Order: sequence, then structure tokens, then C-alpha cells
Amino acid sequence: MSKPALSSLHQALRKSFKTLENNQTVWKSVLAECSPLMVSLGNLAEQSRALSNVQISNTPLRDFPDLEDRLRFKLLQATDTVLGKLNEKMSSLQSVRDAISNQVSAVVQLFEQNTDSLDVLAVTERSATTPSIADMLEWLQDAERHYRQQYLLFGFVLGWVCVMLGVYCFSSTGVFRFLRRKTLLQTLRPDNISLLESAPKRWKSLESPSAEDCITDTLCKVSFFMESQ
Amino acid sequence: RLMCNAETVPSFTGQGFGWPSSFNATWIFGCCRSMKSLRLLSVAPSDRGSQRCRLGPGLMSALGLSLGSPLLVSVPGGSCLCTAWPRPDLAEGFLQMDLKCSSPSLMISHPPTHLSLDPDQLTPVPCSKLKGVKITVVVQSVDFKKHTPPRIVHELVKDMLKGVHVHKNHVINLEDFDTEVKYVVIESINPESASTGFITSKTGVEIAGIQTVRHYRSRLQDQNTVSLGGLDEVSASLREMLQLPLLYPGTLSSLGVSCPRGVLLVGPPGVGKTLLVRRVVREVGASLVVVRGPEVVGSRPGESEETLRAVFERARSAAEEGPCVLFLDELDSLCPRRTGSSAPENRLVAQLLTLMDGMDQSDRFLIVGATNQPDRLDPALRRPGRFDREVIIGAPTLQQRKDILSVLCTRMPVCPSVDMAELAQKTTGYVGADLSALCREAAMHAIRENSKQAICMKHFQEALKLVGPSCLRSSLGRTELSSVSWEQIGGLDEVKLKLRQSIEWPMMYPEAFVRLGLSRPRGVLLYGPPGCAKTTLVRAAATSSHCAFLSVSGADLYSPYVGDSEKALAQLFRQARACAPCILFLDEIDSLIGSRSNGQTSNSVHTRLLSVLLNEMDGVGLKTLERRGTEKILQAEGVEENHTEEQEVCNNDVMVVAATNRPDCLDSALLRPGRLDHIIYVPPPDEQARLAILRVCTKSMPVGADVCLEELATKTKLYSGADLENLCKEAALLALQEENMEASVIKQTCFLESLKKMSPSLTAQQIHSFYTIPLR
Amino acid sequence: MEGESGDITVASGNRKCSAVTGSARKIKDNAADWHNLMLKWEKLNEDGFNIAANIVNIRLSQRNQQEPVDESSSPPSSYSPSSPPSDAAGGAAELRDECCKLQDIIDKMVVVVTKMERLMTSQQGIQDLEEFQFGPEGRKFPLFHTWNTNQFELSSGVLWEAFSQELKLKQTVLQELAHTSTSDLCMVYLSCWLHQPFIPNQTRLTLEALLLETGHRPL
Repeated sequence: MSKPALSSLHQALRKSFKTLENNQTVWKSVLAECSPLMVSLGNLAEQSRALSNVQISNTPLRDFPDLEDRLRFKLLQATDTVLGKLNEKMSSLQSVRDAISNQVSAVVQLFEQNTDSLDVLAVTERSATTPSIADMLEWLQDAERHYRQQYLLFGFVLGWVCVMLGVYCFSSTGVFRFLRRKTLLQTLRPDNISLLESAPKRWKSLESPSAEDCITDTLCKVSFFMESQ
Repeated sequence: RLMCNAETVPSFTGQGFGWPSSFNATWIFGCCRSMKSLRLLSVAPSDRGSQRCRLGPGLMSALGLSLGSPLLVSVPGGSCLCTAWPRPDLAEGFLQMDLKCSSPSLMISHPPTHLSLDPDQLTPVPCSKLKGVKITVVVQSVDFKKHTPPRIVHELVKDMLKGVHVHKNHVINLEDFDTEVKYVVIESINPESASTGFITSKTGVEIAGIQTVRHYRSRLQDQNTVSLGGLDEVSASLREMLQLPLLYPGTLSSLGVSCPRGVLLVGPPGVGKTLLVRRVVREVGASLVVVRGPEVVGSRPGESEETLRAVFERARSAAEEGPCVLFLDELDSLCPRRTGSSAPENRLVAQLLTLMDGMDQSDRFLIVGATNQPDRLDPALRRPGRFDREVIIGAPTLQQRKDILSVLCTRMPVCPSVDMAELAQKTTGYVGADLSALCREAAMHAIRENSKQAICMKHFQEALKLVGPSCLRSSLGRTELSSVSWEQIGGLDEVKLKLRQSIEWPMMYPEAFVRLGLSRPRGVLLYGPPGCAKTTLVRAAATSSHCAFLSVSGADLYSPYVGDSEKALAQLFRQARACAPCILFLDEIDSLIGSRSNGQTSNSVHTRLLSVLLNEMDGVGLKTLERRGTEKILQAEGVEENHTEEQEVCNNDVMVVAATNRPDCLDSALLRPGRLDHIIYVPPPDEQARLAILRVCTKSMPVGADVCLEELATKTKLYSGADLENLCKEAALLALQEENMEASVIKQTCFLESLKKMSPSLTAQQIHSFYTIPLR
Repeated sequence: MEGESGDITVASGNRKCSAVTGSARKIKDNAADWHNLMLKWEKLNEDGFNIAANIVNIRLSQRNQQEPVDESSSPPSSYSPSSPPSDAAGGAAELRDECCKLQDIIDKMVVVVTKMERLMTSQQGIQDLEEFQFGPEGRKFPLFHTWNTNQFELSSGVLWEAFSQELKLKQTVLQELAHTSTSDLCMVYLSCWLHQPFIPNQTRLTLEALLLETGHRPL
């Protein structure tokens, strides 16, 4: 095994963890911006459900004949706006994910180029300040998987809502970048409303602070390593 | 292959890396041990979804694996493709793998943990970047499948599959993503030359189809089917019925024939109706929606109907993915006969009828109902257009029982000495469920005795004592049959022989009777003075012929309600037929059924019971439900001729044995050939017989040396068997009385003393009358 | 005078806004008033929504309190009759206060809509004047960029129509809100108040067009 291979690998790992650290902050802030939007989405769903449950002609509002259609339209419009904003957030998240993915795959590639000079013993060697290469690669891959998974889930929660509502159709670039708008459907089916209602709950469970704990842990474990040199 | 030898170890340590000494020791130790076996542990939660396989670093270098090298692990039941990764604690001798990519069979049942693996079972495999994969996507809900545009699924799946090592025909588990997409089945990969590969963002993903998890799992379970014994014919006819409309709907519609909508399975409980449906549905490749009747019924008004509608909706949506069968188990509880009042069940029945009528040709699903009480179903259900066909499954015949037993025993370590045919013969009236309980019980016996032993006949014998045929449970005439051997009855050798001829032989050697063109007797009448062992004789006959034994006397059948007694008698015959061959013993038949000639009014209970009995013995009361054996469905052609023959055989298997001490009171219609055709006189014991009886009675008694049984036998003229038994008891009690509980032997004087106190229960006149009765 | 000024504006071109007088001046001022009134409406609507939400919350919490009390009143209980009335009384007082506040808001909205009506009549007056001056075809050259005077009148009509209808809806909501017990209907009232179904998004566009035409917004 060769020293230079090891040190260049360490350098690349250091860079990756730096990227991870920076992007974690971005990710967290974007998520924080998403929360109120998700809350509004839930509120709008609740309003839609209430409107469906009420027979306007049996209420004092019966004097306003086209009220129901108008209100429904307004609600859909508001939903549309919120979804549009969420879509923008999703693209920020995507760029975070891509940045991490690219960095990790670059490190893995570098490692693979040097496999011949790094045997199993060398990659499992660890000291008090420097975790082994195997450990660090593992953490990086786990982090990458974590963000890929989270992004996919957020996208899924949102994307499926959109699909079910028939609000958007999807572009072929990027999974949940819904760029082209379809015409708004004038009616929300009840099962769609319940879907809308459930979306914020799922979101809430996803963006719980503990989800990011693993990343924070990893960054703690490599803090000495990052400071060294 | 392993580098674990004396030379290599120092060379590693000599490189000056400052290994922790403990690590070195572990490595050497583990490396040597890894030659032997690896323990399979369950995957660490943090590794879930990572496709990593954790091994010791020593084993990794021994296998020439680098960090993240693809590795195929074969375990019993399948294989799993993972990437090699050293364990965090670097310990050897353990293996943990994430089942991200594994054979479908492992997907259903995870490999057992703590399994021992040989290092040979780990093979490094090359994984080049793939140009393309063809996959089937398995999603959670039908909704997702229906509403999501294919492009979205494609995008989603492609994103999920990125960076996964795949193996042809393996299943990729995507549950860790927690989306609607649960699994992906790799159908084929490009280039085809390899069987494994790595998916990058440039790999083309082609979706061959989308299925729901439910559908996929049911298809997977096809592969490990439980075989079904003894129901071949019924299952063939059922299969045909399902296959035609489900798989070739076009053919039927081109003929202008409407598909059948429903099939009703009728048969006693435990006969395998549910299993049959599951099995056939699997064979046909349809998906199954099961509803048990009671599940549907809810307490709130309208709830049951709602559930039923939801069930049909479920079947309809399942049918969109492929053929589907809606199975309504315990249909009788769901759909009882409607009564006049507006009971809630009526609405449920009406809802079911409406739903069945509402099914149109485009709904590609079929309804199968199962019940053991077809009479309780609403008649409106049993007409073409609803349940078009009815398949009747009876209790298994001898051959069928043998089939079932051999199927059940294939998975058990059964001693070769166990004769299935013999066992089948002894299990008359047992249905499939009983037989499986029997086998389980036998296995339990074997385990209790010695866990490693194969199951022998004696275990089955033990089990037979515990597990009775379920069709006889709570039957009217069910009696504890304490086995009585012929030897336990003293004397009466001639009668015994006759009984054997008429009861035991036809039951045990029916083929010999057929060979000689001998028609089997329908019934036997034993008559004779009371206390002369008529009942015991019948018990002995039943014991030796291994038949089911039902015994009733007048008191069992009498009921204050008009018509109840007749119903009970008919029911008794039905049960007897269900578990045929069977001996139906009517004790004190004179009290049960009188004679029509001796001046009783014609509508008395006796007369009505008599006519029921005559009907049943002639085989008139046979219901279609009780058919069994080879015949097919009623509508099928070419069945008529063997149908009648079947019925004949059926009824013949029930042997009616009646006993009376007043044969003069019996209606002559009962006594003609074809009904109670063998009439056997059980005489009071003569001197020789009395001696034999006394011997049997005193067998377990410590009799004094001075006791002369011969003398007693001569002195006990007109004593019946029961009297003699009583005499022995009295003598023993007397002995105890005289010697203050310390008697050890019974002396002759005791016998003589007690003989003096007793008087014979028979009279010469009585005996004479039996000889003079003009029977027939 | 008005005729002159009209000529002047036409002749002098309409780019210089500061110099406008007469009809153009009036129309421009009206546009600014429209803008201010609509802003004021939005403010009132926002305040009103908060009050309405309070009312609904009080209403629903009252109902939630009453339900368990109803159940517990059947078994003999000593304190339950005493404490809920005080609570309910407190709630009722609070409810009354909030309703009064909402009434105030509505009153202010009535004022706003009355002012809007006045703007509309003044617009009609200008239109009548123009007709008197230039005949039924109106003036040959537009006052500002492209609109003729009729279009100003039409757009203020549309705006007034929308707001007066919305005001009616809000008045209905005010009357019913405190008497509604079903949460769904409460929700509908609130969402009516919030989303203002009778003020479509075009109203905003109409106003912007008005402002653009009159030169309040740079082209």
C-alpha cells in the first residue's frame, strides 16, 4: 500500500465531509421554510373537506347561488400557489442532494482507483483521531443514502399529492420537478382531500429533528479528522 | 485460499502500523474459525437498505474482497447479493447481510437467524455497469397503480435503483424508502451475458409491468403449495370451472355463453373446502379475496351491507390485475334463509343478491361460496346466475383417506412400517382436518417419547384414541366405546361366529363378498332373554371390525315435540352414513319401534319412527349432500349410471344392528330380508357357557383353591350372564364381609352362600317362549 | 372649463401626469382612491378574519364544554351546575365582545363600500359630462393612454359590484357565525371570509390596469 494514495484519499474524504456539513445547514433551513407551507396545505385541505361536508343550500348562505363554486375555485387556487412554492423548495433540496451525491461518488471512485494499493487491513486501520477509511466511506454512503431517501420521500409525499389532485404533471427531468402545469381540476374527490390532509402529518414525521441526528453524529465523529492537517 | 498461516501473520504485523493487539488476536482466531462456519446474525438497523454484507476483514481478504465488492451469499432457500463490508468491530465468524437484493423466496420468509454458513457459500461476483434492466414494479395500493402516470413510476423507481447491485430474477426490496413502491423484480438485464450487474444513473430502466404487493405475494406463494390429498376429482372440476371464465373470457363470450358467476361448495366441516379453494385458485393463477361470513356482520345497522359492498369493490379492483376469486367462507352465517320479519339478515341477503346480480361480464371475478349447511342458505342464492354450480364434497372414502394420510405424512419422519392403508381403514368417518389432527397427535406422542424417533404405528394408535372423527362429535348415539374383545365374552361361540360373519366380515373384507357375488347384510337382529350379553356382543363386533359405533336406545330418541324423534332418527342415520362404515346399534328396539299390527293407533310415535327406520334402511332418506366418492357434479354428463351404484355402496356401509328381548313385539316389515336380514338368537348360557362366563368373571378375582367353577356352573341353571357376573360380585362382597376387609381369597362357601340368596332372572317358560316365536 | 381642460390634455399629450386637470385629474384621483380603499378593505378583512376565528374558537370550545356537562348532569353532581354557567357566562361575554368588534369591522367595511359607490357615481358623472361634450361616441382621443372614458366607468362598476356582493356575504357571515354549532359550517364561514369568493383575482388586475392607465404605475 502506498502513502500518497492514502493521503489523497484522506484529503478527498475531508472535502466530502466539509460539503456534507455545509449542505446539512442548507437542507435544514430549506426544510424549516417548508413547514409553514405544509401547514397551509393542511389547512386548505381541511377547508375543502368542510366545504364538501356542508350542503350550502341548507344554510343561510343559500342566497349566494354561485358561492360554492367560487369558494372552491379560490381554495384550489390557494392550494396551487402553496404547491408551487413547495416545488421551488424541492428544487433547492434536490441541489443539496445532488451536491452530496456527486461528492460521495467522486470519493468512491477515487477509492476504487486505489483499491490495489489499499488492502483490507489498510482500510480498516483506525486510530484515536482518524477513523478508518472503511468507516468514513460507510458514513458518507449512509449520509448520501439518507439524503437520497429523504428527498425521495419528500418528493413522494408532495408529488403524489399533486398527481392525485391532477394539479401537475411531471417533467421528465428530475423526479419531482413538476414544471408544466395542467389545468386545475374543478373538483376534489374526498379521497384526494384526505390525502391532502395526511400530507402535512407525514411531512411532520419526516422532518423530525432526529432524522438529521445520524448526519450530526457522523460529523461529530470526524471532527478531529477534519481539523487535522 | 486463506492466508491464515504462520508466515503471513508476522509479515502483516511487521509493517509497523501499530495494530491494537486485541485486534490481531481476533483476526487470527476468527480467520481460522471462519474456515469452519459463519454465524448468520440479523442485520443491524443502521445497515438496512444499504445492501451491505458485514464480514470479518480476515475473511474479506481471504476471499479477495475489497471494500464494497459484490458478493453472492447462498442460504437455504435462495441467495442474496450484497456488497462486502468489514464489521465495525472487525470480529470474525459472523455474517450480517441486508436483503436488499435477494431471491423471491427469501423475500417472503427471511432466512432464519443464527444459521451457520460455510465460507464456500460466499462467492465474489463481478458486477459491471448495466446498460439496461427490465423490471416489474410491485406497489402497495391499487390506487397508486391506477392514478400514477407510468412516467412518474419510472422516474421514482429509477431514482431508487441508482447504485444498487442487482441479480437476475432477484427482488429488490425498496421498503426502506417508505413510499408506495415496495419491491422491484429484476426480470432481465442487459448485457444478458452476466447474471449480476450494477445500476448507475445511465442504466436504462424498462418497466414490464406494475403489480400490487398483494397480487405479487399471492403469486409467489404459488411456488410453495401444500399438496392436497384425495380431492383430485373435485379440484379438477372446480379448476375447470374457474379456468374457463377467468382465463379465457373471450372464448365464452364468442360462444354467446355467459360465464358462470358463482360456485357453491357444500360439505361437512373439516373436509377441506377452504383449502381446496385456495389451492385451486393458486393453480389457476388467480388472486383470492377471502371473506369469512362473520367478519362481514357488524353491529350497527347498515354496517354489514357496507362491508359487503367494500368486499366486492376489493374483488373488483383485484380483478383488474388479473383473474380473481372472491371466496365467501361460511356463507350460511352470512346469508341465512330469509324469515318473514324484517330481520337485519334479510337486508344483508338482499344486498348480496343485488351485488351478485350487479356483476357484469366485464367484472372478471368469480364468487365461490362454501358452507356446511346448504339447507340454511337462502334459496334465492342457489339458482343459476348467482351460484350457478354446486360442488359437493363428502367425507373422504377409504382411498381418499389413504391419499390424504400419505400427503400429510410426506413431511413427517414416519416409520416405514406404518401402513397407510391400515390407518385409512381405521379412520372411518375422519375428514381431512381430523386426519391432520391425528398426524399431529401422533407426532406429539413420538416427541414426548423421544424427540429423535420416527413416528411408528403405536403412536398413531395412541393418537386414534384421542382424536375422533369430528362428524360424530355431539352426535346422538355417540358412545364411549371401551374396546371389548371377543375373549371377554364367555361362551356363545356359535353366536360369535354368526356375528362375525354378518358384521365383521362384510366390513373388513368387502372385496371378498363382492368376489363371491354375496350381497351384504343390511341389518342384524339379536334377540334373546335379557342379560345374555347381546349388547356386549355388538360392542365386541364393533371393536374387532374397527368401525364407528353409534348406539341409541329409546330414551335417547324420545322427545315431547311432535316430529322431533323422527328427525333425530333420520339425523342419526345421516351421521352414521357420514362416517361409514359404521355400526348403528338400536338397543331395545321393541321399546323404540312397536308393531303396527298390535292395535296401536296409526299415528303414534312408534309408527312414525318405524316408517322412518324403514325408509332409512331402504336408502330412501339419502340426501344429495351426503354423496361422496367418485361422482362429479350433478349436471355433468355420464354420471347417472355410476351414481346409483355409488348410493348403494354408501348405504351398505351402515350396518344396523338391533337387539331386543321381545321379538314378538316387532313389526314384521322390519324383519324381512333386505332390512334386518340376519336374525340371531342369543340363547341363555348352557352349562358349558356358564362355566366359560364364570371363568371370565373370576379372572381378576383371587379365587380360593377349593372353588369349583364346574360345580357352580351346574348349579346355576337359568342364570343369565349378568346374573353370573353378579354372583361373583356378591361372593366377593360376602368374603369381605365375613373376614372384615382382610379377605385375600374368595372361598367356595362364599359363592355357595351368595348363590343361595340369589334367584335366576330367567324362567324356563320365558326361554321356551323364545323358541316358539314364529319369526318371519 | 372642462371642455378646455379636456382639449388641453389631449393636445398636450398625457405623459406628463402632474399637469393633468379636469376629467383626467378626477379620474386619476379616483383611481388612487380605489387603490386606497381596496388596501383599507384588505386590512379590515384581515382584522375581521382574526376576530371571526376567535368567535369560532369560543363557540366550539363552548360546545365542547357543554357536551360533557350534558352527560354528567344526569347523575347527581353538586358542583357541575355551578361552575359551567360562570364559564359559559364568561364565554358569552367574550363572544359578545368579539361579535361587537366584528360588527365594528363590518360597519367600517360598509363605509368603504359606500365610498366606493360614491367613486362609481362620480365616474358616471364624468361619463355623462363627456357624452354631453362630445356626443354619444365620446371624445376622439383617449384621456391617458388607450382607454376611453367609458372603460373607466365599466371597471369601477365591476369593482363596486364585487365589493358590494362580498360585503353582503360578510354581513350574512356576521349574523350567522356566532349561532353556528357545526364545525364544518363554521369552517366554511371562515374560509368565505378569508378567501373572499366574490372578489376574484381579476379585481386586483382591474385595479392594476386602472393604475397603469392613469399613470400611477410606471409603464
